This record gives sequence, structure tokens and C-alpha cells, in this order.
Amino acid sequence: MTAFMRPVLLNSCAMAATEEEARYRIDVPIKGRQGARVVALDEVANGILRRVARQGWNAARFLELASRGAAAVVLRDLDGVLSSLGEQLETADVVVMIATADGDEHAASAIGAACTARGIMTAGLILDAGGGVGGAGTALRPHARVLMVTSDENDVSEVLLALRA
Amino acid sequence: MLKPEINELLTRTGPGTPMGAMFRQYWIPAMLAEELPENDSPPVRLKLLSERLIAFRDSEGRYGLIDEFCAHRGASLWFGRNEQSGLRCAYHGWKYDVTGQCVEVPSEPDNNNFCANVKLTAYPLVRIGDVLWTYLGDPAKQPPLPEFEFALVPPEQTYTSKRWQESNWLQAFEGGIDSSHVTFLHSGGLKSDPLFKGAKGNEYNMNDLKPFFEVAEADGGLFVGARRNAEDGQYYWRITPWVMPCFTMVPPRGDHPMHGHFWIPIDDHNCWAYSFDYHPVRALTEAERQAMKDGHGVHSANIPGTYRPQANKDNDYLMDREAQRAGETYSGIKGIAMQDASLQESMGPIVDRSKERLVSADTGIIKARQRLRKAVLALRDEGVVPPGVDPAHHRVRSAAVVLPRESSFIEACQDALTASPGVPQSTV
Repeated sequence: MTAFMRPVLLNSCAMAATEEEARYRIDVPIKGRQGARVVALDEVANGILRRVARQGWNAARFLELASRGAAAVVLRDLDGVLSSLGEQLETADVVVMIATADGDEHAASAIGAACTARGIMTAGLILDAGGGVGGAGTALRPHARVLMVTSDENDVSEVLLALRA
Repeated sequence: MLKPEINELLTRTGPGTPMGAMFRQYWIPAMLAEELPENDSPPVRLKLLSERLIAFRDSEGRYGLIDEFCAHRGASLWFGRNEQSGLRCAYHGWKYDVTGQCVEVPSEPDNNNFCANVKLTAYPLVRIGDVLWTYLGDPAKQPPLPEFEFALVPPEQTYTSKRWQESNWLQAFEGGIDSSHVTFLHSGGLKSDPLFKGAKGNEYNMNDLKPFFEVAEADGGLFVGARRNAEDGQYYWRITPWVMPCFTMVPPRGDHPMHGHFWIPIDDHNCWAYSFDYHPVRALTEAERQAMKDGHGVHSANIPGTYRPQANKDNDYLMDREAQRAGETYSGIKGIAMQDASLQESMGPIVDRSKERLVSADTGIIKARQRLRKAVLALRDEGVVPPGVDPAHHRVRSAAVVLPRESSFIEACQDALTASPGVPQSTV
């Protein structure tokens, strides 16, 4: 026992770990996330994006690629308004990319690299219908802090819900 | 975050609850074999999934797991006499066999058949490896016995311990697939723990404190991969399998034994953390086995004669601020197991997940919760057998490998993630 070890205190935090004590935790409403960007990287992902977007979200923006393989990534929101990647990332705090094996590898790399440069949290969800993750997975891997390979498109909603998007 | 109703759904495991019904689809660890060391040894009280039970081993070596309370007037059979192939209540001498059947009511005439109509609830209790397993579900739907590798290797190759954790099972389990905490909470152990130190993989761990994660579905649950940079532009991958509902394995380090856990609900506020170590192809050394008994690695040093850790919430887990300040431990708590338990218990008996602020690195946990919820509802609403019941789902391993950057771990490691008798683990 070192000099810094202390005898048990009746008010120590460990003693608060009862159901009764847990009632006294400070209860402050948590504001939803304001800077979530959800980007689809191919046509199938666009369909998922539109379905997910219909659910109620805090301030998430749902974006598609205006064109595949473009040198500069241009994004289009669900109202058809175009914007540059840089514009969208200005106020972003998390970017969730959705792709299938057909996902635009160039866009995945460009978005991932831009997020890395800006210190923005990233996640990639690749919908695998049994044919593997294709080039999108390889492109996303170096940049997405988390890559989820899934057969269930509901995972997109689950991740966005957990992130309070 | 998790909606309160989903949190309730996943954390309550008592009789009549949806998650309780799901747990009752599986063979689960009930106790260690050492708790019933010989025929007619003292009976053991245990609570599982909020059911109070008594376990005993009769004169013929048969295991019994039955309702704790005598059918006569409700006295605990823990006081009973384990003798002559049955457990006799100490109050009035009623005697039960391992099936829960009352075989003797001494107060009644010898030729009276009253006891034939008295039977306590009973569950199967089967020894596989160092663990006694039980199935608390519908006997008509009892699945084949479990086939986890740690329980099937020869006795000299495996060791299992358990400890009481004062929290709901789900927050304990979530720690088992939460790879991002290892870099911080357990950082001291890689250098000093005899069951971890010396592995090449430890250098990758210490040199890259910001791992990337990849989550992939498996038939029985998930694989969660954590990757760090390695030399020559390669990635060092640590891959954790989860088999539903609550089996996890830690990726191996060098030639050290492999280890993992089961998180078994005692009730809604307590769980058993079963911790195992095994080596697929060699006997554990005496030094390794002693280190495990001493509470190193994933094991805990327990109060002698009990399964309560010596470091527990009543003594602030023997918090050592000097060791924390000096960097010997990150949290001031000694040992991997209690580092986890102390923080998980500090959340409260059932953490309020509606107040969480999750980040993308928590995706493994997000996905696991989603799989649990889907399986619970599919069972409840459609009678669908959940993943992880089939013994084929049990034949998994963790792995630690170095792969080219372009490789997908799930495609490159299919063999490494499959338990194969006599085949060494894939480790760095």
C-alpha cells in the first residue's frame, strides 16, 4: 500500500453504484448533433440514403454524389442543391459514408482524406449483398475510422441514431 | 444512445422477459466444475437469469440443478443433506433427486405415493471442460451441447475462472467488444503482465494509439477488427469474435494462451464474468497456470473461498493514485479484470444508455445491440431461433495478424478465425 492509497470513504464514487443512488445523477437534456453529413457513394446507396432521410433526424444532411469519378467531389442534397465537399465539411463533425461494392472509390478517398485533414470523425457502411465489398471497401479503409460491412441497411439508421445525427 | 425501451429490452433477463427468453435458448455456464468437486459434496446456491437454484452432485456423480426451495414449506435446500443419491431438506427430511423429483417424504407412511406427485423445477447440468453448463429453456427445444474450443481441448491446455461483477450483463459484455478502451485503460498491462508481455504485437499496440475499426457480421454474431499501422505499409489487425449472446474472445499475443469471456446474468444488477485461457496446441506451463490463479491476464484475484474479487467497490478497488500518477496503471486499479469491472460497476447497476454520446469508434457496440434487439424480437414475435445456438457458430477464434493494406480481414482470415483442433492460433 502506497502513501496515496486511502481507506474506503463512505462518499466514494464506487458507493454510488446502486439503483437508489443512480437516481440522483444530474439529468440534463442532450442536444442532438448538428454537424452530421451522410454521403451515398453509388446508386444503390442513394436509395438507402433517401429511405433513411425520411426518418426524423436532428440536423443531419443527406447527400449524393453529383457525378461519379469527378476530379472534385460535388455533392447534391435531396432537394437537388449542389455544394462542394469543402462547403459541406465546414460545419461537419461526423461524416458517414454509405456504399455498396459499386461505390465510387475516388469519392471515398477524397472525402476520407478531406475529413482526415480536418480532423472530422468518419464512418463507412458498406452494404454487402454477398458479393464482397469491392473497391469501395479498399478505398474507405485507410480513411474511415470505422468500417462496417453489413447486409442490413437498417444499420445506417442505427449508427445515425447512436450518433444523434 | 439507446432508447429507454430498448435498454429495458436488452438488460432484463428474468423469467417472462424477451431477453430472458432469448438467454433461455442457449447452453450457458452455470458454475465452475470445481464448485462441485466430488460426489455428495456440499450443494451450491446460485442465481441465474433471476432464478434461484441449487446445484448438487449426487452419490453416483450425477449433477443436478433444481429449484432452491423445498416444495413442502419453502425452506432453502442449501441447508440440505447431500446423501444417498439425493438432496434432503434439513427442515422435514423431504428428499429430491437430480431431476427435482421428490423421492422421500419421511413423515408419510412407507407405502404412500404422495411424493410421486411432487417435483421441483429442474434443469440439465452438464460438464464440458472446467465448466458446468445448463439450459434453462423449453426441454423440447434443447439444442446440442456447446462446442467452444476452450472447453474441448485437453484439461492441461485450459483454465477457467469466474468473478462476480456488480453490474448488468450488457455493460460488462459491451466492454468485451469495445476495442477502443484497451489503448488507454489497459495500457500498463502490455509491459508487465506475464500473460501478455513480450509479444511483437504489443509494439504495434503501443506505437499506434488511434486504431481504426472494422465490423463484420458472422453467422453467430460479429467479428470486430481493430487495425494499427505496421511496418512496410502493412496493417496489424486484432480481431475479436462475438458469439451471441455473450461469448467474446480477446485477440492473442505471441505464444501466450488465448483468452476470452462469458458474461452471464445473475439477475438484472449482477453478472458472472467467466474468464478462460487456453492454448490450442500445448499444455499451459506451471508459470502460466499460476499467473492465472494469481489474477493476472483476464483473471481476478478473488477473496479466498469466494468468487468476489479482492478489489471491489467496498474498498474502492484498492485504488492506488501513486501507481496511476506514475503510469504503472492508467486508472489506478490493478489488473485487467478489475480495471474493466471498476468502471463498468461505476456506471450503476443498469447504465442509462439514453444519455450516452457515442462516437464512430463505438460502431461495434452499436451493431451488437442491433443484432441482439433483432434476435430478441424475432424470437418473441416469430419464434426464430437466435444466432449462436447452433454449435457450428461456436467454432470461432480470435486472431492477431499482419496483412497488406488492401486486404479485408474477414476475407484474409477465414481460416485464422475458425477453431481447428491441433492447429496453432494466428498470432503476432
